[in-house]
Amino acid sequence: MGNVMSASFAPECTELKGKYDKCFNDWYSEKFLKGLSVENECQTEWYEYMECVQASLVTQGVKPALDEARKEAPFENDGKPVDP
Amino acid sequence: MVLWHNNSHTFGNSFDAVTIAFFNRYPNPYASHVLSIDTLSRHVDEDGKLVSTRLIKKMGKLPKWVKPFLGKISESWIIEHSVVDTKKGEMLTYTRNLDHTKIIKVEEYTRFERDGPDTHVKSMVKFSSGFGIGIKNRIESWSHEKFNENIKKSRQGMTFVLQRLDLSLNETST
Repeated sequence: MGNVMSASFAPECTELKGKYDKCFNDWYSEKFLKGLSVENECQTEWYEYMECVQASLVTQGVKPALDEARKEAPFENDGKPVDP
Repeated sequence: MVLWHNNSHTFGNSFDAVTIAFFNRYPNPYASHVLSIDTLSRHVDEDGKLVSTRLIKKMGKLPKWVKPFLGKISESWIIEHSVVDTKKGEMLTYTRNLDHTKIIKVEEYTRFERDGPDTHVKSMVKFSSGFGIGIKNRIESWSHEKFNENIKKSRQGMTFVLQRLDLSLNETST
């Protein structure tokens, strides 16, 4: 997927994010979509990137709202809003 | 106060390409207000679906009438949940803003469906606000305008990324 990469919210994580995104894109398009792999094959890249992101998140004011939002399960109703 | 807007669209691209473009939709020239996007969690569930959560940071673009309540907001955070089901040929996505939600909360539910060589997209956007009836009309017209503008830009952005993707695939195969 080309070489255009978006930034991480934490500038110090952008390089690690780039490595992970590249690994993910290769795995996703070459294996996952073709039904060849359901294993996460980007473990090394993922842990390095996550370590950086988690450390940087702590300093962001968004953390409490984010922790709350991560518990949401928006697809339980087959991806439809509960009260449209 | 709650308002809904719906929209559907068909991309003349395969489901696979559209999902790749979705994960790589930033940066693009139609989303210059998007500052960053990070993956926070990702796994393949017991049904073989890919479940991801991402965090997006945008330059704040709130309506003028919000300013007296919020002052000058320079940025806002968005959470994005997504599930890709390759067997069914379906991707469900959900995004919402994390901050300023009492003033305005914008939730977008989108379903991408494989339709032969094409991909059908249906979006439902819910605007909710803690403000009462007095300000309802303003939110109504603003949200409608915002919805149309956002939908247009996100389609243009996806189309741009799909074209870029086509180019890079052609380069690889030749």
